[in-house]
Amino acid sequence: MTYILNRLLSVMLTLFLITLVTFGVTNILPGDVAMMIMGTQSNPEALAGLRESLGLNDPLAVQYGRWVGGMLTGDWGTSLIFKQPIAELLIQKAAASAVIVVMSMTIALTLAVPLGVWAAVHRDRWQDGVSSTAALMGVSLPDFFWGIVMILVFARGLGWFPSSGFVDPAEDLAGTLRHAFLPSLALGLGLMAHLTRMTRSTMTGILGQEFIRVARAKGLSERTVVWRYGLANAIGPVITIAGLQIGYLFGSIIVMEFLFSYTGMGWLTYQALLNRDLPLIQATVFVIAAVVMLTNLAVDLLYVLIDPRIRLG
Amino acid sequence: MDDIVSVERLRVEFPTDGGTVVGVEDVSFSIAPGETVCVVGESGSGKSVTSLSLMRLVEFGGGRIAAGEMSFRRADGSLLDVASASASVMGGLRGNEIGMIFQEPMTALNPVFTIERQLTDGLRLHKGLGQAEASARALDLLRGVRIPEPERRLRQYPHELSGGMRQRVVIAMAMACEPQLLIADEPTTALDVTIQAEILALINRLKREKGMAVLFITHDMAVVAQMADRVVVMRGGRVVETGTVTQIFEAPREAYTQSLLAAVPKLGEMQGKVLPERMRLIGDAETRAARTAIAPRKPEVLLEVRNLTTRFPVKGGILRRTVAQVHAVEDVSFTLNVGETLALVGESGCGKSSCGRSILRLIEPTSGEVLIGGRDIGALNAFDLRRARADMQMVFQDPFASLNPYRRLKDQVAEPLMNFNLSSGQELASRVLDLFDRVRLPREFLNRFPHELSGGQRQRVAIARALAVNPKLIVADEAVSALDVSVQAQVLNLMMDLQEDLGLSYLFISHDMAVVERVAHQVGVMYLGRIVEIGPRAAVFGSPAHTYTHQLLSAVPIADPRKRRFGEDLTFKPITSPIFPLGHVPAPSTYRAVSPGHLVLTTD
Amino acid sequence: MRRFLTFKGVVGLTLLTLIALVAIVGPLIVPPEAATAMDMTARRAPPSLRYWFGTDQLGRDLVARVILGARTSLEIAVAAVAMSIVLGLPLGMISGYFGGRTDNVLMRLVDTLLAFPALLLALTISAVLGPNVQNTIIAIGIAFTPFLARIIRGEALRVAQMPYVEAARASGTTDAMIMLRHVLPNIMPAVIVQATISLAFAILAEAGLSFLGLGTQPPAASWGLMIQASRDQLDIAPWTALVPGLAVALTVLALNMFGDVLRDVLDPRAK
Repeated sequence: MTYILNRLLSVMLTLFLITLVTFGVTNILPGDVAMMIMGTQSNPEALAGLRESLGLNDPLAVQYGRWVGGMLTGDWGTSLIFKQPIAELLIQKAAASAVIVVMSMTIALTLAVPLGVWAAVHRDRWQDGVSSTAALMGVSLPDFFWGIVMILVFARGLGWFPSSGFVDPAEDLAGTLRHAFLPSLALGLGLMAHLTRMTRSTMTGILGQEFIRVARAKGLSERTVVWRYGLANAIGPVITIAGLQIGYLFGSIIVMEFLFSYTGMGWLTYQALLNRDLPLIQATVFVIAAVVMLTNLAVDLLYVLIDPRIRLG
Repeated sequence: MDDIVSVERLRVEFPTDGGTVVGVEDVSFSIAPGETVCVVGESGSGKSVTSLSLMRLVEFGGGRIAAGEMSFRRADGSLLDVASASASVMGGLRGNEIGMIFQEPMTALNPVFTIERQLTDGLRLHKGLGQAEASARALDLLRGVRIPEPERRLRQYPHELSGGMRQRVVIAMAMACEPQLLIADEPTTALDVTIQAEILALINRLKREKGMAVLFITHDMAVVAQMADRVVVMRGGRVVETGTVTQIFEAPREAYTQSLLAAVPKLGEMQGKVLPERMRLIGDAETRAARTAIAPRKPEVLLEVRNLTTRFPVKGGILRRTVAQVHAVEDVSFTLNVGETLALVGESGCGKSSCGRSILRLIEPTSGEVLIGGRDIGALNAFDLRRARADMQMVFQDPFASLNPYRRLKDQVAEPLMNFNLSSGQELASRVLDLFDRVRLPREFLNRFPHELSGGQRQRVAIARALAVNPKLIVADEAVSALDVSVQAQVLNLMMDLQEDLGLSYLFISHDMAVVERVAHQVGVMYLGRIVEIGPRAAVFGSPAHTYTHQLLSAVPIADPRKRRFGEDLTFKPITSPIFPLGHVPAPSTYRAVSPGHLVLTTD
Repeated sequence: MRRFLTFKGVVGLTLLTLIALVAIVGPLIVPPEAATAMDMTARRAPPSLRYWFGTDQLGRDLVARVILGARTSLEIAVAAVAMSIVLGLPLGMISGYFGGRTDNVLMRLVDTLLAFPALLLALTISAVLGPNVQNTIIAIGIAFTPFLARIIRGEALRVAQMPYVEAARASGTTDAMIMLRHVLPNIMPAVIVQATISLAFAILAEAGLSFLGLGTQPPAASWGLMIQASRDQLDIAPWTALVPGLAVALTVLALNMFGDVLRDVLDPRAK
């Protein structure tokens, strides 16, 4: 209980720090925000007008207060390019991205855990070589390169899946999944490569522990030793690592949604950055960081449920 | 021949990238039913490889049985060659007919499964018991190894149990299917001496009750003397000598066995002697055989510790505030004379290491005074403290971690000299040379790196480093505990030579009572942060007055098979926690003098 | 040294040497004009004897562009990683060595920064500063600093607890000297390993940034830019994507292989 309270308090503090960093990165770095939005060639009067309307002439602290205050009261401002309330946009796009995040994570975990365990069991033999080399290649290929290969093979070549666009799940759920599949697969394979490597090294460590030897000395079969005794200990660390990958995933999703013209959070963030839509940049950057942080919190709490050492310790 | 195990010309190889390494070679021995055979040897002797081979577990460590036979008499009377048995036959044998316990109780249990699950899975597998029957049997097993509150333990996870209790669970696990043979691989090496005594007594009782044979692997000759019926001495992967325990201890045939035994201190052998004596080393030119007793020059106080107290905060809660305190050192006072050794003894967590570090202010004491040569160390500011450290140096336990792996040895020995600008250039170089000579390290080692040295050599470097600034006091924190027994004896003798030559004083922190008996002038016994008894070594060892000292001394295994002490079940009072709530004010330590200089704590 | 001579080590090191050679020597042999020279008679020409890797939509020779792109990518990656080490090393070392309140405050900040995906942080910084080579370096450099600081802090913390550090303190060595003589050399292996892996990530990040138009700007040759340009012509000229894509993949693979071997050789915990 104390642990959870502790964590919650720490979450509030981190959220506050996240707003500071978000605001800081978009404001304190050298560069005139109005000029950033309108370009260097714009006329001075228009610039002055924009500064006034965005409240850029106020002291930074006032601007920050207004921003955070707005978010707390549900007023997230209006996007300059979409001319739409930001809160509304965010909800729409976040739902679209959630499909990809869940799908790619599922693909990655279902493939990576067995592969990683298999490699660890056959450490330094050909099985390990094959899976480790495959994982290394997976880690090394940029996600968007995967994406391009997917488009070439599955969309243009075989025509199994659409290569771009997004369909509202309320209208056509199967369509949503079909559109999300290729970007999820491309992201999932990259993730899988990381997770396979991590699972392998975690499992290698566990298989070298004394309690594994004790389990063998009890006469338990290798299968029980590895998949029960070993994996039960690996699951916690692997989930933690998967949680940390969420951050990586939210970076890659920007590229992937751009490539597949999939209109989710990543796409929205990209549009905001490309068009210097300051209110939207701040909102998307904040939301992504907050989601990453909260996911890690959820993973930590899950770990507490899994591992008796923390649950009862 | 009705031996339960007969190993013939066993050879185990470890294929590596750099070619095949031979683990053991030409190893033969046998075990009769109901007999305890001890395999003893120093590190690298192949004793563990032998025991793992018998379980065919050596294969999981990258080893391969290259030659030899290991016949095992199964429960039904048939003979089985373990060396060539199939994996499925071995599966039916392991944990069922042969049980095994390992060195590290802290890691031997699966942290995410309950004790019950770990105790029952072997029973369900080998004996085909159902969940309920297996659980009932598990409860019996826990009672059999005398674990308090066995019902509760079943539902607990390993981290909720102390090290001693965990080792009992591991033994219960190994005993679950009533094996004919129990293999114990250094089962007490990681345990405190009182818990070691309990576990040894437990193994003896179970062996007696079940008529089971025991293969006991250890590096400790004293444990061998206590446990063995017969002994196999190993060295460098080969058997040196085999014999009954009395033969080996009283009439060893091989030179190696003789030198190994000579280097082992026997508790009680210093009875009637006042001064410390050097360790016996056969064929060692370094030992000054003629002058074995170490007499201090003249009584003159060097170190005076008054009411030293060190507490560590236990952080917790939302704001990481201090919620409790570990009373690591509690109202400790003593004096140490020039040229003498004061040993602080006690079990893990008793505060002996914290006490040493507090004196050097490597950790900041909470209160109390430390005077070296009349100067109060506690009152010095950071600058003066750095200067004062030239007078007091430290030698650490782990010879592998106490030297920086990326610095040449000469630079590490020179560092203290450079810190105090004591010498430079040519003078510095020659001083470092002197130091190497003094600790009897070859001069070729000057430019080497630590990984090129053995444990004993590294410890000599650590001593040279400590000597560099001509200190008056050296705090030796378990300085020889990690070393093999013959190396340990050499390093101890070096330390005693240095004491005699340079008039050094040692604060000798150790858990090893037999070593302390040989090297100390004064002994302080620590328990829960306090010194419970202190005085001249002869008095403390000869007529111990505190219950804890009694307990400690009665738990020490003696390297003499005629002085067996673990026949009956032993249970010592477990050590309580040194963590107290914030406001706790402990009573001051008050002492009663048993004889001049021999004090016993009267505070509870 | 022998432990470098594994399959991975040899392949990684050879590839890495070749790529570095191409990046350093390439621009001396291939004139920069070659990368921008357009051959309007051979737009989107597939790989042939004349154009080994084919040409792009403006008829530019992909061999020349990949070679000059190597230079850009590696320069940015090396500079960005160097920057993150310069920032992260002192931060992590001080935090880990001294611990306590300093550590709490610094690491709370680092943890907050770690909640921002590195690519997002880099994109935002680059968008705010205005995309060009210099700002790409700054963006990636800052974005990678928290990772390095975290890892270095962990290492420094581990080393600070080693007995040889306590021994040095006991023999009167000052904190500054302990950090210089004992902590730094002992965390260097981990820093080198991490730098190698970071280089791989930096190359990916640079490609990602340029691909999104927020990194290197045309007409400069950069692998990410080349892939971006290929996006609209995947059906008719797939080689325009595959050539720079494989260049990125090969470089990152070489760095990762080398990093893996370095870790095996240098990292004391992996032994």
